[in-house]
Amino acid sequence: MAYSGTPSYSAVPSSQYSSWIMRVGAYLVDTVPIWAALIVVYIIEAIIGSTIVDILLGLILFVAILGYTVYNRWILGGQGQTIGKKMLGIKLVSEETGQPIGSMNAFIRDICHIVDSIICYIGFLFPLWDAKRQTIADKIMKTVVTPA
Amino acid sequence: MIVRRMYSVPERITMFSAGAAAIAAVYPAIMAHTGGQGIPCPLRTLTGVPCPFCGLTTAAAALTHGQWTVAASTSPLACLVTVMAIGTAPVLAARILGLAPSPRPASDRTRRLVTRSAYVIVALNWLFQLHRYGFT
Repeated sequence: MAYSGTPSYSAVPSSQYSSWIMRVGAYLVDTVPIWAALIVVYIIEAIIGSTIVDILLGLILFVAILGYTVYNRWILGGQGQTIGKKMLGIKLVSEETGQPIGSMNAFIRDICHIVDSIICYIGFLFPLWDAKRQTIADKIMKTVVTPA
Repeated sequence: MIVRRMYSVPERITMFSAGAAAIAAVYPAIMAHTGGQGIPCPLRTLTGVPCPFCGLTTAAAALTHGQWTVAASTSPLACLVTVMAIGTAPVLAARILGLAPSPRPASDRTRRLVTRSAYVIVALNWLFQLHRYGFT
């Protein structure tokens, strides 16, 4: 008999986890504005060729990327969907409540991605074989990514 | 715990391997053009100690160019995954084409056996990497 879920106390049915490729796609969409800004700054610096302008543009770029990260990864992400996740139709929720995890937990989860990275970034591949499609950071923070 | 998936874990790893192989095939050319040193392992960069998965990129690039001995001497794990992917590819192709039904969930016993085997293989590969970098 087909068995499509698992008896558990999780608020998310086990058959509802988003695939690795969807998560990667959402992340790539999230990085598009950063790459666009980097390219624009690179072109301006190449045209102007001034050290003072390079430093100034570098500072502006740093602040812009930081602001974008705070807004996209931690504010929007804490509400469940970054820009990329919204476009791909997936969301980040607590495994236990099924609800968004909030900005502080989204920030802590990003810090936990250090654990995913430390061993040759293998933690980011865990969703390929993990039953709940979780990275190590997701396991630490008890989060899952599901279809929206 | 039994979870039903559209593709089995080996099939998903095979799909990932296909994508990785496509990138690995052009990786040496990109590194040569940009002068890059490749993707550093954070653990090895910080501590000097290789992780179990060090050498995967180099081995993958070697495999895509048919250099099996180079790949095996760099990362036997990469060769093992490649053999698994090659063996799984026909099943995956059948599944994608709709010629095969969805995979049946593995039993808990099978999942435990496979998980423990994977841990052993990774541990052995780590010993290999430690030896390759002169730690044993």
